[in-house]
Amino acid sequence: MFFRAMKNRTPVKRRTGVFFAIAVLAATFTLTGMAPTRAAPAGCTALQAKYPQWKGKTLVNAINPHTPGYEAIDPNDPSKYVGFDIDLGEAIGDCLGFKLTYKPVTFAALLTTLASGQADIVISDIYATKERAKAADFITYSKVFDGVLVAKGNPKGIHGIDMTMCGAAAAENTGFVEVPLIQDLMPKCKAAGKPEPTLQLYDNNANCIQAILAGRADTYVNDVNTVDQAVKAYPDKLDKAVAVTIPYSVGIAVPKNKPEFRDAVLAALIEVQKAGIHMALLKKWSLDVNNFKEPDILTVD
Amino acid sequence: MSLFLHYLSMPYLLQGIELTLEVTFLGLLGGLLLGLVLASMQLSRFSVLAALARGYTVIFRGTPLILQMVFAYDALPHIGIKLAAVAAAGLALAANEAPFIAEILRAGVLGVDKGQIAAGQALGMTPFVLMRRIIAPQAIRTMIPAFGNESVSALKNSSLASVIAVPELTLRSTQLASSTFDFFSIFFASGLLYLLLTGAVAAIQLGAEIVFDLDRSSPQDRLARLLPWRRVPLAMKLDLAPVPSPAAASVPETLAPASPVVIPLVDHKRREAAIAQRSIAVAVENLRKSYGPHAVLNDLSLTVRTGEVVALLGPSGSGKSTLLRCINRLETWDSGGIRINGHALGFAPNGQILSPREVARQRAELGVGMVFQQFNLFSHLTARENVAGPLRWVHGRSKAEADRRARELLERVGLGQRLDALPRHMSGGQQQRVAIARALAPNPSVLLLDEPTSALDPELVSEVLEVIRKLAVEDGLTMIISTHQLRFAEEVADRVAFLSGGGIVEQGPARDVLLHPKNSLTQRFLSVMDAVKPLETQS
Repeated sequence: MFFRAMKNRTPVKRRTGVFFAIAVLAATFTLTGMAPTRAAPAGCTALQAKYPQWKGKTLVNAINPHTPGYEAIDPNDPSKYVGFDIDLGEAIGDCLGFKLTYKPVTFAALLTTLASGQADIVISDIYATKERAKAADFITYSKVFDGVLVAKGNPKGIHGIDMTMCGAAAAENTGFVEVPLIQDLMPKCKAAGKPEPTLQLYDNNANCIQAILAGRADTYVNDVNTVDQAVKAYPDKLDKAVAVTIPYSVGIAVPKNKPEFRDAVLAALIEVQKAGIHMALLKKWSLDVNNFKEPDILTVD
Repeated sequence: MSLFLHYLSMPYLLQGIELTLEVTFLGLLGGLLLGLVLASMQLSRFSVLAALARGYTVIFRGTPLILQMVFAYDALPHIGIKLAAVAAAGLALAANEAPFIAEILRAGVLGVDKGQIAAGQALGMTPFVLMRRIIAPQAIRTMIPAFGNESVSALKNSSLASVIAVPELTLRSTQLASSTFDFFSIFFASGLLYLLLTGAVAAIQLGAEIVFDLDRSSPQDRLARLLPWRRVPLAMKLDLAPVPSPAAASVPETLAPASPVVIPLVDHKRREAAIAQRSIAVAVENLRKSYGPHAVLNDLSLTVRTGEVVALLGPSGSGKSTLLRCINRLETWDSGGIRINGHALGFAPNGQILSPREVARQRAELGVGMVFQQFNLFSHLTARENVAGPLRWVHGRSKAEADRRARELLERVGLGQRLDALPRHMSGGQQQRVAIARALAPNPSVLLLDEPTSALDPELVSEVLEVIRKLAVEDGLTMIISTHQLRFAEEVADRVAFLSGGGIVEQGPARDVLLHPKNSLTQRFLSVMDAVKPLETQS
């Protein structure tokens, strides 16, 4: 059962993506003897009885699949999406009895796609903020640690979204929470008599990373795992400066007008966590276990 | 390099091509259909339709496609229209392409020579026949390069569908780049795939240009055209026009009288008396027409009897051409009326203005033929088709019957050897003779000739005049000719009408008016034309 499941997720490796192979091996060893990922926890039977309306359905998960480790296509079988978020979403789906298909959109379009009804759920490493909660309800599931990606040797001496970033060019994705943080820094730099930081907005991680590689940007602040993956891919050219704490949680977004679905997903996530699947998946994808967070609901009117 | 080849042959990317083509196809097909509607609205007689089409063009040509894509995908569901991603992308691309395609269509249609359209109308073609047989075939030829451009542009624009989750080539490339970090190998591979697709479009365009080329070319030529360094030899086209041989340039054999100078005319007085007994073929009554403050026709009246030949003389701008165009209802007028064999062309019996389609039908029934100064042959058709085509399309003759009639008439005007020549390969004189044959083909009851020799080189004038002379003398055709050929008018016309300032200032038997003009304007005109003297010496 377990081996069938693993084979489905991560087929035999070819040339590239050595770190994926390591991640899979690590996950295989860690998970051996633990609860199989695809077996729905016992409490799920009761949930499926309580929320029968999604059983047997296929729901659409809108993702921005440019974040290896969380959600990206499988380099060895590009027809599949793989990552922590993908596995977590499917575990929740298994619990409530639904399957997921994926709709790849830009980061800024995630919540629009959800609001227009073109998707049913968004599990795509999106930070739950009050502003975003105006467009969707969130079930938070992970703490946020950001990393600061810089050129090898950190020539500009950047150590976070602070005075060290004054005068630097920062690459960010449109719609990222780091964008307003950097914008807030601008007047502070000016007040201190330093040049303001500049912002370059792209629409996926790869473009932000390329901006640093091409010398257009000095830094890219994003989830620490994303930064680590980039440094692994270009160890001679990139460095992680430091990790910074961002006062947000990562959340699953669901439509505001479907509170019952939100509650069902919350209940399923609690079951998934209780069964140890959440923690196992963090290890499988080599993510920091300190990310683990018990779920909350973030909703505003 | 091996990575590049790996991605170039990767099924995941190749499958993206299918969606790229699907979106492009939907966009082009939808854009073409919508563009046809928009173009017809803009070209329509009804200004409200034109304004609506203009408004659509302003909005959809003036906003970025990426916004239209997001709108079709994310906004339409809010009003209950939830399209699949590919359909939404196709819709947005179609809505965006439509105004561009409409402008290509409009430019193509407007680019067709106005004279040919007037000639088609004069032959009794309905707007539909005119569009299908004359305008569309010529417009399509000129539109092929622009359509090629538009197709390439639509193909590249389909990549914007990546923002609304259509997993086409671009979206697949960016996702693959994100997960493998092989940024450049992947984008070079996907760029090459796009190049292959756009290259295929270019090949289709060139193929279409060859297929639609009127000048039949040898297979070697066709192959050479596909080579990128080929240049269109501009001079070649001119060389193709054959230099008219002395025999062809001179009077057509079949019509040639022994001496071109004098045709034995019947006794003028007797002919005059005979004509006076006949029915009225054309009656123009108190016709007025003005462009703003400038009066082109000023209370003009003229009666032409069956079998009569009337020559309209007068300086440029005196209203000769406008009068002829009014008689055929190619122009409208402000007041007064015209009757052809008792029927008011362009009006229902109760006086109501008829639609262009009904006017066309009426023209064909009443039989008013017209020959234009600029020949106005249908330039995409051979001499034979110029004559035979209208017989089939307007008068419903069979192909064999129409071809026989065309051959017979073209032989009569001395062009039996040039049946399959295109107008551009004929001399002006030959073209005008084809135009006369074309006007004669449906057996018109009245033939209008608008300065038939004015656009011809002097040495080609006589061949055309000979043809007309024969029609007047041998066939007894009712004709109204505007001309500057005074001697010709004197020989052929029963009556001459001298126009000035939009009215007839003097008319009467040809010899009387030409040799002994009474009106001072006529006298001045004739002396300026330096024609009085040779006529006098001749008589």
